[in-house]
Amino acid sequence: MKKLAEWQLALPLTLAFASIFLAPLLMLVGVSFFNDDKITEPGFGQWAKFLGDPFSYKVIFDTMMLGLKTVCATILIGYPLALVYLDASPRLQKVLIFVIVMPLLLSVVVRTFAWIVVLGREGVVNTVLMQLGVISEPLRLLQTELGLVISLTQIEMPLMLLPLISVMSRLDPNLRDASAALGASRWRTLFTVIVPLSMPGLVAGCLLVFASSTTAFISQTVIGGVRLIYLPLLIWQQSLVVFNWPFAAVVSITLLISVLTVVSALSWLGRRSGGYVHG
Amino acid sequence: MFNRRSLLAGATALGGASLLPSLAYAKGIVTAATYPGSWEEAYRTVVAPALKKVHDIDLELQPLYAVDQIAKVRAARGAPPFDAFVLDPGPRITGIEGGLFEKFDAKKIGNASKLPTGMIDEWGICVGAQVVGIGYNPKKLPKPTSWKDLLSDPWVSRLGITGFQTTFGTVSLIEIAKAFGGSETNVEPAFVELKKVLPKIAAVGNPAAMAGLLQQGQCDITYTNIQTVAILKSRGVDIEFVKPDSGAVAFFTTMHIAKGATDVENAYKYFDTVVSKAVGDALVQPPHNFIPVNREVVLPSSLPMTNLDEMSTYVRHDWSKINPLRAAWIEKFNKEMAK
Repeated sequence: MKKLAEWQLALPLTLAFASIFLAPLLMLVGVSFFNDDKITEPGFGQWAKFLGDPFSYKVIFDTMMLGLKTVCATILIGYPLALVYLDASPRLQKVLIFVIVMPLLLSVVVRTFAWIVVLGREGVVNTVLMQLGVISEPLRLLQTELGLVISLTQIEMPLMLLPLISVMSRLDPNLRDASAALGASRWRTLFTVIVPLSMPGLVAGCLLVFASSTTAFISQTVIGGVRLIYLPLLIWQQSLVVFNWPFAAVVSITLLISVLTVVSALSWLGRRSGGYVHG
Repeated sequence: MFNRRSLLAGATALGGASLLPSLAYAKGIVTAATYPGSWEEAYRTVVAPALKKVHDIDLELQPLYAVDQIAKVRAARGAPPFDAFVLDPGPRITGIEGGLFEKFDAKKIGNASKLPTGMIDEWGICVGAQVVGIGYNPKKLPKPTSWKDLLSDPWVSRLGITGFQTTFGTVSLIEIAKAFGGSETNVEPAFVELKKVLPKIAAVGNPAAMAGLLQQGQCDITYTNIQTVAILKSRGVDIEFVKPDSGAVAFFTTMHIAKGATDVENAYKYFDTVVSKAVGDALVQPPHNFIPVNREVVLPSSLPMTNLDEMSTYVRHDWSKINPLRAAWIEKFNKEMAK
């Protein structure tokens, strides 16, 4: 029997992707070039409407900033946790992995509503702070960007930690000893040895957290409320409330392009850091 | 000897055989969309057993919000994923305009004579009423009397609002606009007044999150429907329903046959069961707290009306006028409320 070429083996998956991902994406692009919500009159009207409105740029900027803030917060909390994992005993590592993966086992809806209980006016945080006498009036945490970033940081944390831990676990422990033997302090070892070598995991984590937090419609609307407007809310309103599918397609493509741009920039940074480590 | 193949064949045959009695027994099926949450629960526990008992028809429910039902049937283009819609007035008009419904034959509803006049038209049947007013926490706030009160102290600083994406949100904002000189088609006064007090407002939330926000004390007063108040009360939340002095708002929930539906006859039997006295008697009780349309159902004292005819005095809206304006209102709400 004739041996199958590699491209032939990949054909079923390629065809499946073409039909269930590429075709709808092309349809989405096609629909965006109609002027009316009945999808009868071709034109650039919806693009002109979206791109001609300064409010659209504010929403794009806010959405990207939300993703970047969540990425920064997950790095700040996740990286030290990954370092603790690296030095922990195998038994503690198992416990840590369980704690890290646990949020993934819960529905995002449950996690999001749990944050209402935590951040609410009469929620856990405000009750504790008031009982301790730290504050006299409840803090406004729900429906603020701060509250949203706090909750997204917890919700997205596994996406940062899992690739990070996977890469850091493969680091040669002798490198740290060699760095110390050559006189480097612990901080210098961290910044000149561990961080550059863990960069592929860090970049992968950043990509996942950014893509997931900018598109987290449920968390954004339930915890952030509707005064914080991000692109997913606009897509939902236009597609399911107003039924203006061409405009919803325009916003969807904008979200896709915006996220892909930042993701590409992060990938480029990752590749550069890889060159730095090995070059 | 058994080999793997014969065992698999045997198991498949046994599995198939186990399906036979149910296939032979079930007289029919109807697939109906229903709202997620309290509606789905009520229809699963009350309507489905009643339909099975009276007509021997299995009810398959698809939990979908009204707007999602319209979107799915529009996308399906003639091959709807369910036979029966359940819709609020706005999406109902969208469905009629989009040609998504089969014409409705009132003669097929045996309980038609028990419904108030005007409950069945050429496109569908009213199956329940919703009454919208003000829900507030009596332990934290004095009783409000009007829509205007919502935007003044002490209520405004504990107020939670939602936008135009839901029916109850839209009608409430229209009523607020009317209180400040606006009308059904002019909500500008509501925007002007809301903008003045925006920094004081406790929450501008997603409709799905409002019950949670009230439960957690994030806000203590909001516009809402009477059913939500009843459900929250039954869960121990301190909340009371108030009919504003200009009148509570009423709108009807309607059911329709999807264009291209496969089980049309069963859908009629389903509608007839939904508006029957037996089902109405069960749905009017806690924890469901539905407002029925069948005159023979005895209304509980928790409802703001003593009989269904009283609802004709409630404030009603013309959704054929509201629908074309709604997209612009949603857009304006986004821009005016955005931080």
